[in-house]
Amino acid sequence: MDLSWLTAVLLLIIFSLVLLILALLHVAYLTYAERKIIARMQQRLGPNRVGPRGLLQPIADVLKLIQKEDIVHPHVDRPLFAIAPLVSLVCAATGLSLIPLWDRFVLSNFNVGLLFILALSSLSAYGVILSGWASNSRYAFLGALRASAQVISYEIAMSLALLSIVLMAGSFNLQEIVKAQVASPFKINLIPQIVAFFVFMISAIAETNRVPFDLPEAETELVAGYFTEYSGIRFALFYLAEYYGMVVMSALAVTCFLGGYAGPFEVPGLPFFWFLLKLYVLLFFYIWVRATLPRYRYDQLMSLGWKILIPLALVNLFVTAFIKLMF
Amino acid sequence: MKLLEKILLIEIWKGLLLTLKKLLLDKPVTIQYPEKDKVIPAPGFRGRHALVRDPQSGDTLCIACMRCARVCPSQCIYIEYEIDAETKKRKVKRYDIEALRCVYCGYCEEVCPVNAVVLTEYFEYAGYSRDEVYFDKDRLLKNWDEFIATQKRPYLNPFWKPRGLPEKYLPVRKRNFTGV
Repeated sequence: MDLSWLTAVLLLIIFSLVLLILALLHVAYLTYAERKIIARMQQRLGPNRVGPRGLLQPIADVLKLIQKEDIVHPHVDRPLFAIAPLVSLVCAATGLSLIPLWDRFVLSNFNVGLLFILALSSLSAYGVILSGWASNSRYAFLGALRASAQVISYEIAMSLALLSIVLMAGSFNLQEIVKAQVASPFKINLIPQIVAFFVFMISAIAETNRVPFDLPEAETELVAGYFTEYSGIRFALFYLAEYYGMVVMSALAVTCFLGGYAGPFEVPGLPFFWFLLKLYVLLFFYIWVRATLPRYRYDQLMSLGWKILIPLALVNLFVTAFIKLMF
Repeated sequence: MKLLEKILLIEIWKGLLLTLKKLLLDKPVTIQYPEKDKVIPAPGFRGRHALVRDPQSGDTLCIACMRCARVCPSQCIYIEYEIDAETKKRKVKRYDIEALRCVYCGYCEEVCPVNAVVLTEYFEYAGYSRDEVYFDKDRLLKNWDEFIATQKRPYLNPFWKPRGLPEKYLPVRKRNFTGV
């Protein structure tokens, strides 16, 4: 056997483990950060019991959720019921492997990486629809229908926004997109593509079912939407998928709009510095929005998606293409 | 101008700015009750029930007039008495308060002519069983001992004197009462 091939595989496995553990820690502490920040914004304290300043709260939550009784209603479609959260989670999490965290740390330098991430994030709608259908409950089913309609309509706006980035860079490869940004006069795509960034951020919030677009959950109307019938750790998997989605979407935004790991300048010894900094700023933005805005009504959500964001993204795409063609 | 405001999402940014200000400038107002912050109830707070112990006899002041049991809207006070053959005075045999049924209206302490029954300002008495909050006479006297030990003497509960009633209509003990 070729030894270099073996080392490559080993390296890949080590890299993926590192990425997985890092991402899981980020997701776990994202829940903590969210509770803490929103608490501060509402002048509460947030978690402060488990560990110093409540720092062990995510771990305690996981332990509790694992111990909880796993209730499966007798009328559910069992195999689909069990698969659905995993579909959501895998689709949300796989995207991270394509994001270039550093010019020497990217798990798969895929030449249609952006397309692949978009495909995966559309696939995560399947997890939602399957869970709603398999639960055999009308609340869950309604939630799933709403979620799928929402994900599909915002997916289009998001893809259109990202297409203008593809036009700017001339490539679907995320690594190439970062390099093209560094080579461009503004260093980041945010300045020429502010409209696309705006559309992308709003669509990303809707895509990950976060406030103010958390209509699939809608506790007041649907008792938690598509995961009504899920309990314990299965329910937690959906939440994990949501937070994973946030991380992936923010990472994608950093890569496509904010110059990725290649920030304004290199920081020696801290390879991920700029990437993580921008990622945290965007994640904070998600939490900030959640603490501020109330939930949309469903027709408002749909009309925002179809009547404003999609035309806006389309016009932006045409303008980008036109300018690209002229100069 | 209206259009520009709409396009630039001015109102949404204003809202976001408000929450950011709260995050950066304001302190949490949460009380961390058992560990850090101590809650002191206002004087006359109606908490755990007690029977005032007579400092002379060591027994309750209650004369078994039954007014408290009669006035109680949730009827959670049960009294049994016997009549002393020599003095012809009533003597309390049983005095129970079922605190789970009590609505803490304070009528019993208002109506009591000798200020024997009290809703103390003690509030930390949650229990694991119903029996723990079913107070019999001994328990009520013990409640009083526990409570009065924490108080600066003399202790005078404002609920002992019903408001809005002329002084002359009050029973003698009530009129003269200045505290324990």
